[in-house]
Amino acid sequence: MTESHESNTGAAPLLEARGLSKDYGDTRALDSLDLAIAPGEVYCLLGPNGAGKTTTINLFLGFVAPSAGQALVAGLNVSTHDRESKRRLAYIPEQVMLYRNLSGIENLEYFAALGGQGSLGRERLVEILVEAGLDGEAAGRRVSTYSKGMRQKVGIAIAIAKQADALLLDEPTSGLDPTASSEFSALVERLRNRGVAVLMATHDLFRAKDTGTRVGIMHYGRLVTELSTAEVGHADLERIYLEHVSDNGGPR
Amino acid sequence: MTARTVLKNEWRLLMADRPLKIALGLFVVLLGYALTNGVVWLRFQERTVEATTSGNVERASALRQELEAIEAGGQPSSPFADPRSPRVLGGPSGSHTAVLAPGPLTALAIGQSDLLPYYYDVNIYTNEASFHQNGEVENPLNLMVGRFDLAFAVVYLLPLLVLALSFNVLSEEREQGTLALTLSQPVSARSVVTVKLAFRALVVAGIVLGVSLLGALATGGFGSPGRLLLWSVTVVAYALFWFALAAWVNALGRSSAWNATVLVGAWLVLVVVLPAAINAAAGLLHPLPSRVEMVTAQREASNDAVNRRSELLARYLEDHPEMAEGVVADEPGLGALSWAATDAVNGRLEEVAAEHDARRTEQTALVRRYRFLSPALLAQEALLDAAGTGDARFADFQSQVREFAERWREFFVPAIMADEQMNAGVLADVPTFSLADGDSADLTRRATAPLAVLAGLLALIGAAAGVGLGRVRGAD
Repeated sequence: MTESHESNTGAAPLLEARGLSKDYGDTRALDSLDLAIAPGEVYCLLGPNGAGKTTTINLFLGFVAPSAGQALVAGLNVSTHDRESKRRLAYIPEQVMLYRNLSGIENLEYFAALGGQGSLGRERLVEILVEAGLDGEAAGRRVSTYSKGMRQKVGIAIAIAKQADALLLDEPTSGLDPTASSEFSALVERLRNRGVAVLMATHDLFRAKDTGTRVGIMHYGRLVTELSTAEVGHADLERIYLEHVSDNGGPR
Repeated sequence: MTARTVLKNEWRLLMADRPLKIALGLFVVLLGYALTNGVVWLRFQERTVEATTSGNVERASALRQELEAIEAGGQPSSPFADPRSPRVLGGPSGSHTAVLAPGPLTALAIGQSDLLPYYYDVNIYTNEASFHQNGEVENPLNLMVGRFDLAFAVVYLLPLLVLALSFNVLSEEREQGTLALTLSQPVSARSVVTVKLAFRALVVAGIVLGVSLLGALATGGFGSPGRLLLWSVTVVAYALFWFALAAWVNALGRSSAWNATVLVGAWLVLVVVLPAAINAAAGLLHPLPSRVEMVTAQREASNDAVNRRSELLARYLEDHPEMAEGVVADEPGLGALSWAATDAVNGRLEEVAAEHDARRTEQTALVRRYRFLSPALLAQEALLDAAGTGDARFADFQSQVREFAERWREFFVPAIMADEQMNAGVLADVPTFSLADGDSADLTRRATAPLAVLAGLLALIGAAAGVGLGRVRGAD
């Protein structure tokens, strides 16, 4: 356990990066990231491809080891408390890939049980899937018949079932139609209201402004600016984003 | 909890995967066919053994009746087959067939039992040529490739099923994207893959052992629980070796296609190429003398012996002075002359056979030395030993038959040399063959080396797989 910094809301952060860096050979994918996300915050990481957004999420998941610094989940260093930190985390990738030959219910049951929730019972599983926005009838169908939006909802259901403290979203609305994206944002909003800390990597400035409480703009592995979404409009955010991601600093 | 969760999910995935269910069904059918082959062969062997055993009784009974009839004043049925002559009573018409009963688990592994003789007609003329000829007529293709029995299915096909079930155990999760979601949970790739493979191993071992036990149940194999245990342990260890290999290859983090190529290559090398190469090397380095050489030697020795019978008799008596007493020196009997010739032929054959056997021993030693390179050879050796159809049991049987033939000669030859006549009273003293089958200590001693090496390979590859899987994260 490591002592945590306070986030800008005053509460102890659930997700925190301290001087977090990652090198792949000579390429620095993430450069000294400092970040703190409190309960009930939705922090959107914006930036072009290769900016370090997914690397940041992978570091919080323990999928890659940091070259320097620490990733903390609820104060737990991910590198040294892999399982404990993952118990507090839920993750929804850009493409939620599930077992195609199993139903939504069966997939949810499996991943929820892996997440430590035990056997939830079919009724409860259906409830969670419906809460995540999936049609009750679709829940019992094989996932091979699902659209991407439906799979993302199963991903949300897994996060709900896990009762995670923190949620990591890696471009979750990429490829979703506007309705599905909007539904997804509403689900994230509900989790936020339950006190879940959300870190979302996205290219979607509109969604970031709409869903996030704060945004951070990354470029070449560095967090170049942070904004409160309450203080900027959509147009301002786009302008600021473009200002920061124009090529004013190359990769190191 | 994780183990139960993964096991339950694996069961669901299996139930939802029709091609996989068809593959498993096909494997079960093949095992059933293999078992049927084994049972058919066992029944054939049992009938043969029964016929030879009853043949022994019938021959002895007929000879007794004829001798008693002659003693009561009757005439022999043929002047050339007078049972009072020790050459007749101890010769082919009075021979005793020494039989090797089928191995306790022959139905599971026919092994060498269709290739090596499991009965010999023993009489005074039994010699080395008798041990180097197989009177059975068998389909040469069967002899060349072996019969399709359970042991064959285990050694050759089981690895393919294991690889089909496990070549993509991790790579598929990575390719279809479920690995990231899985590893975002508080579980390790190593524990998940281990449970997934354990489930598949349970399925495979369940099928193979189920069919094996069914075969044992139908053919009385449960009378040899030690052998059945050895069979089961070998099947499980061999299957686990292939699962461990698949786990290790998966841990390297390459694509499913790459895994499949490497694993099928490994199967080809370890199961097909290496055993064939070792056999070929044994044949090349220690070639067996031609059987024609033995036949020629027998013919030449026979011709020579017929022409030099008196000289050979004199030499024989020099070598066997204990026999000289009964031989009339001035006018030796036909029997004595004939036996001296036979003995000379046997001596020449022993020389040829000794060379043959020496080469065979060298071949066997070479194969035994390098069999550790191939888990398939190790598994086959242990399975055949468990079934009682391996080389060792046949060699032991042949050795006991040699001793029996020697006892047979010792019983009849003095009478031949002394030109004595036999009567019904001696029949009770005529030697009979009774096999002293190896005990469980022999079996354990023989099985220890191959199983220990198999277990060592399993541990080595399993450890490498464990280390590799321990490095797997969610984003490699």
